[in-house]
Amino acid sequence: MTRILQTRTGWSRREFFVFLGSLTLIYPICRFAAFHVPKKPVLINISKPILTGGYFVANDFVLFDRGDSVWALSRKCTHLGCKLTYHEDRDIFECPCHQSQFHAETGKVIRGPATKPLAFFPVEKRASDPFYVVTT
Amino acid sequence: MARGRISWQAIKWGAWALSSLYVSLLSGIVVGIQYDYITPFYSTTAIDLLVPYGRFFRSLHFFSSQFFFFFTCIHLAAVYGKSEKLPYREWLKLSGTLPIILLLLFTGYILRGDNTGASAGMIAENIINRIPLLGQVLDNLFFSVSGSGLRKVYVHHVITFDFMLLLCAWSHLRIYRVNVQDQKVLIAAMLFFSIIVSAPLEPEHLGTTYIAGPWFFLGLQELLRYLHPLLAGVAMPGMFLTALLAAHPGGSKKPIFLSIMALWLGVYAVLSCVAWLR
Repeated sequence: MTRILQTRTGWSRREFFVFLGSLTLIYPICRFAAFHVPKKPVLINISKPILTGGYFVANDFVLFDRGDSVWALSRKCTHLGCKLTYHEDRDIFECPCHQSQFHAETGKVIRGPATKPLAFFPVEKRASDPFYVVTT
Repeated sequence: MARGRISWQAIKWGAWALSSLYVSLLSGIVVGIQYDYITPFYSTTAIDLLVPYGRFFRSLHFFSSQFFFFFTCIHLAAVYGKSEKLPYREWLKLSGTLPIILLLLFTGYILRGDNTGASAGMIAENIINRIPLLGQVLDNLFFSVSGSGLRKVYVHHVITFDFMLLLCAWSHLRIYRVNVQDQKVLIAAMLFFSIIVSAPLEPEHLGTTYIAGPWFFLGLQELLRYLHPLLAGVAMPGMFLTALLAAHPGGSKKPIFLSIMALWLGVYAVLSCVAWLR
């Protein structure tokens, strides 16, 4: 066996088993590395009141309050994850990396290369400070 | 031909590259003393504005690293014709240093945490995640910016990629020694350049409509506009890398691979110009 291995691969039996042992380590390393620890929900308190029809730009989302409806739209582009800019004049989100555009009310794609709509974050509107609590 | 004219191939590009690497490593250690990956943009801005001589050391690290890549590429082109006897294994290791240097430059951009860096990090993460089967593993090993911040990027910038670079270039560096005494002019030029030119930093502005990536990433950024991220971000760079690794100077099929590389670089240059002019 040793001789066959040595002639075919140039390896001794010991080296061959060390190689096999190393290979079996790859699987647990890959499983370990690929595991995503679930993100802990983060509650973001917004103490600043928003005038009806106004909006508030946070790092991860833009919060809109249009009287009867309040919503927080993610600023993460669904194409490649760049941070979106909100354009008030056109009421759209635009990606500065590849210029994908999204509707600010529905989150739907207006122009690609993005194909998926933006994510909404749950918002709780309160009568006192904090006036809004956004869960991201 | 006029007497005394020096051919571009006669210039010691390899020695220049190595000197730039030394300056880059040393200035990197200095910058690392103040840099904090937990608050990358604040930290980088503080180095530029508050830390005494911080702007100079960050510029020195940035530009010496760029020069290192630039000189390494020219060195490769200059000695290519004389490297026919280089063993194939050694060729693989040496040409493999180019993508590693690019990864070092790229992670450096991400670590700035500014508009360019943050976007580059997110794009890299999203491209890698699209690779079938291995995508998540690779992302978790190398980037995972949205999950782990810049912790992994920092580790790989200061340890992993440097180690890989040394591993690939070690036998080459053992043979070709460089006397730093002979490189005084180059080092002085780099120091002077870093005094007068600041390393770029782009803070986030309200209403930003366009962010240009690192200069070597511009063509890819443009391509990502038209093609699926797997094609634009993995297959396209993979095509060039495969041609480079296959283009052994002593190989019989090297004209084919060199033609592929030249065509690829031409297309990439056009795409980069389009992205730059946006």
